[in-house]
Amino acid sequence: MNKRRFLTMTIAAGLLLPTFGAQAQDAGTADKAKLDKAFPSKPNYSPYAGRTFPTMPLFGDTHLHTGFSMDAGAFGARLTPRDAYKFARGEEITSNSGQPVKLSRPLDFLVVADHSDGMGFFPLLMSGDPALLATPQGRQWYDLIRGGKGAEAAFDIIRSFGLQQLPKGFPLPGTAAYRNAWGETIKAAEAYNEPGRFTAFIGFEWTSNTGGNNLHRNVIFRGNGTQAALVEPYTTMPPLGSDNPVELWKYMAATQDKTGSEVLAIAHNGNLSNGRMFPVVEAFGKKIDREYAQNRARWEPLYEMTQTKGTGEAHPFLSPNDELADFELWDKSNLDGSVPKTKDMLEFEYARSALKNGLRLEDVLGVNPYKFGMIGSSDAHTGLAAMEEDNFFGKTAPQEPSPERMSKVFFADPKTGVKVMDWEVGASGYAAVWATENTREAIFDAMKRRETYATTGPRMAVRFFGGWDFVAADATNRMPAAIGYGKGVPMGGDLAKAPNGKAPTFLVAALKDAIGANLDRIQVVKGWVDKDGKTQEKVYDVVWSGNRKPGADGKLPPVGNTVDVANATWTNTIGAPELITVWKDPQFDPKLRAFYYARVIEIPTPRWTAYDAKRFGVKPLPETRMVLQERAYTAPIWYTP
Amino acid sequence: MRLKSILREPLLHFLAIGAALFLFFHFSSGGSAGPGSTRIVISTGQIAHLEAGFTRTWSRPPSEAELKGLIDEWVREEIAVREAMAAGLDRDDSVMRRRLRQKLEFLVEDSAEASPPTDDELKAWLAKHADEYRSEPRVAFRQVFVSRDRRGAAAEADAAAILKRLTAEGSSARIATLGDATMLPADFDLAPLRDVDRMFGAGFARQLDAAELGKWSGPIRSGYGLHLVLVHERVEGALPNLEALRPVARREVLAERRKRQLAAMYDRLLEKYTVVIERPVAPQGPASSPAPAKGGS
Repeated sequence: MNKRRFLTMTIAAGLLLPTFGAQAQDAGTADKAKLDKAFPSKPNYSPYAGRTFPTMPLFGDTHLHTGFSMDAGAFGARLTPRDAYKFARGEEITSNSGQPVKLSRPLDFLVVADHSDGMGFFPLLMSGDPALLATPQGRQWYDLIRGGKGAEAAFDIIRSFGLQQLPKGFPLPGTAAYRNAWGETIKAAEAYNEPGRFTAFIGFEWTSNTGGNNLHRNVIFRGNGTQAALVEPYTTMPPLGSDNPVELWKYMAATQDKTGSEVLAIAHNGNLSNGRMFPVVEAFGKKIDREYAQNRARWEPLYEMTQTKGTGEAHPFLSPNDELADFELWDKSNLDGSVPKTKDMLEFEYARSALKNGLRLEDVLGVNPYKFGMIGSSDAHTGLAAMEEDNFFGKTAPQEPSPERMSKVFFADPKTGVKVMDWEVGASGYAAVWATENTREAIFDAMKRRETYATTGPRMAVRFFGGWDFVAADATNRMPAAIGYGKGVPMGGDLAKAPNGKAPTFLVAALKDAIGANLDRIQVVKGWVDKDGKTQEKVYDVVWSGNRKPGADGKLPPVGNTVDVANATWTNTIGAPELITVWKDPQFDPKLRAFYYARVIEIPTPRWTAYDAKRFGVKPLPETRMVLQERAYTAPIWYTP
Repeated sequence: MRLKSILREPLLHFLAIGAALFLFFHFSSGGSAGPGSTRIVISTGQIAHLEAGFTRTWSRPPSEAELKGLIDEWVREEIAVREAMAAGLDRDDSVMRRRLRQKLEFLVEDSAEASPPTDDELKAWLAKHADEYRSEPRVAFRQVFVSRDRRGAAAEADAAAILKRLTAEGSSARIATLGDATMLPADFDLAPLRDVDRMFGAGFARQLDAAELGKWSGPIRSGYGLHLVLVHERVEGALPNLEALRPVARREVLAERRKRQLAAMYDRLLEKYTVVIERPVAPQGPASSPAPAKGGS
């Protein structure tokens, strides 16, 4: 928006960087100096001029693959990074399956994050590269793909990759094929990056997948192509790469030194890591120590909470009292279905339990390794960040709209009996960032300070501020953001050392997607470590639509349901377009570490499967979910005694 | 055509590059390459190339034995290629065909970028596409929000009453306490219509068009509720000048040139051939069902 022109970054930085040291100490107090900044004593006529905080969230995708990714290529993706940026900017293009496709409205930013391992592998394989075809495996894939069995080849590529059994001739950093693919990735981002209107980030996905356990990270560059071209993406295969995140962080440190461009990594939804995404005791044979915690916190400020392969906020097994925890879960196995999931793994792969364990680790190590903000992204392997329920172009090229995707198997392992259907893939999600302007630098910096939230697709605007002095009247103020920044810290921030006798207060607000569904409720999720060192959690309904009264069990009645599944329609006759309130923690103990984050729930709407059933006239399989309540999750605010 | 413009003709580049490649391949193997010949020469240049490839992979030069292995391997490959081609194994291979086509098209595409677009080309492109790149009209307005959610059936009447008051107070009306609180901005600075629609929903900006400058009007309906609006500035969209649009124009001119040259190449080459289509292509049936999908990361 135009107003961002006026924003002065220096003041913004002072207001918005509450996460460091001294700043954190007083961040939550009603600081008069700060209020003066938000409301200068001699105001301009226009109270909005000279405003120093982000006024509008920017929406994007930090995790999109194109035909440059080896598995995407085998699946049949032919779109390139250039196509991906074009599409995200709002242009109409032709999909991999030849269908015209366009977003309802442009995204604000995009990271094309192709797999670093074998980047450019697919074009190489399809060009009949002699070295690659000289290997039995390379030959086999090539024949499979040529014989129209690309998906089978893709599956075998992923599996071989997980077992670290790849043919000689696989493009490695330093080879011409690899450099070409990286160079083209950079060129595409440079060509489509348009500061102020659309941000095209340079990035890649580091795909640690040993044993089929998904520990992927998306690495994003703050800087430009000249800087990114000084290095090549880090891979997972020794001797050039490693599957251990600790080594990735070393690469990131070296990359910053060499290029002068900051980098950050976003951990892939951990729901397919089989208990390895958030270790608390040891990882890769090494104890989790202070150094691990420091590096993880330093390099991985964000976590991908929701994507096409499921949502990983909370699990009903871990959160039996959270009736909304059962949302788009993928909890059958690891990434390739080779090892079924057991209940004891869940604690170490869902975001809420990781946030809780992070508090406990901070007690022991002095640093919280799992102090992350939330984002959603697509992880689509199609070059298309099309994550709207009524405009969903699938996770892989064979999942682009067709009558078959309602009934096809996505992947199955006959040995383990694990089977995941295409209909289980979710049309989710996007990353929302409170950046001061639409540039690489501003968005990256907002990511670093965790001023972000995840959405499962809709573009609701969500504010979440924590402080000690929010009062009910602040929720009726005409400029809630000014009050929020003035009296508290935004999402991703810190509160410390509670003033005597005070409990944390939160100003939380959500505005529905301009073309989307109304809101059901806003909840605040609190996690803490109790006196006995045990982790605890509680979900509070803090504001909701209509005149519903919580029942005797304290539970709010459901908002209702207007979805007509057969016609894939709904109405905004229930729910509220906007919700805002001030909430105070009723069970606060100033001596205990805690975190708080907001969860915004939409009224029920048709899931993509309902649109497919209607448009293709096909009958869904009996167990298919046809309705969902989309949601947003903010980055937490942490309290440290 | 003047010499200068002939030199700039991309097709010439294409032919020149093609000829150069032909000569290179013809002589690089001692002039004896190709199916049918029984003489194989591996030059010092090629050996150096093999050594360099090895060194890049292993970060050390090959030993004597390894180098011998590389050379033997190369000889075998050369024999295999010649024999395979002599036997026609390359002819029905769709990947070979695709690769050869790709290589040929790359030549054309590369030649398209050999000379930067001239100012005349850029200007011609701009003249044709100016409208698509016209800067968007912008609008600045104030709005008072009336919530249907909070006021229910009374919202319309309330909006009418508030509008009356606003009209009386005029363009400088104090709106801070009127209507309902909202996260939507009350003052919208000069912004492209795109941004207005982004925030208030598609079609909102168009409705602002009807508002008379400097007068309160409305309500305009959005997904949020009712909005009384006062538009205080409008800036029409302007045609961009070449300087502002130079990078885009360059990108697009080159893209067009690539496309044109490919088409021209095929047109020209087609003249050489007589194409006989024995059976008309059957009309396309329903989209074939995608291969069974498995896995994904």
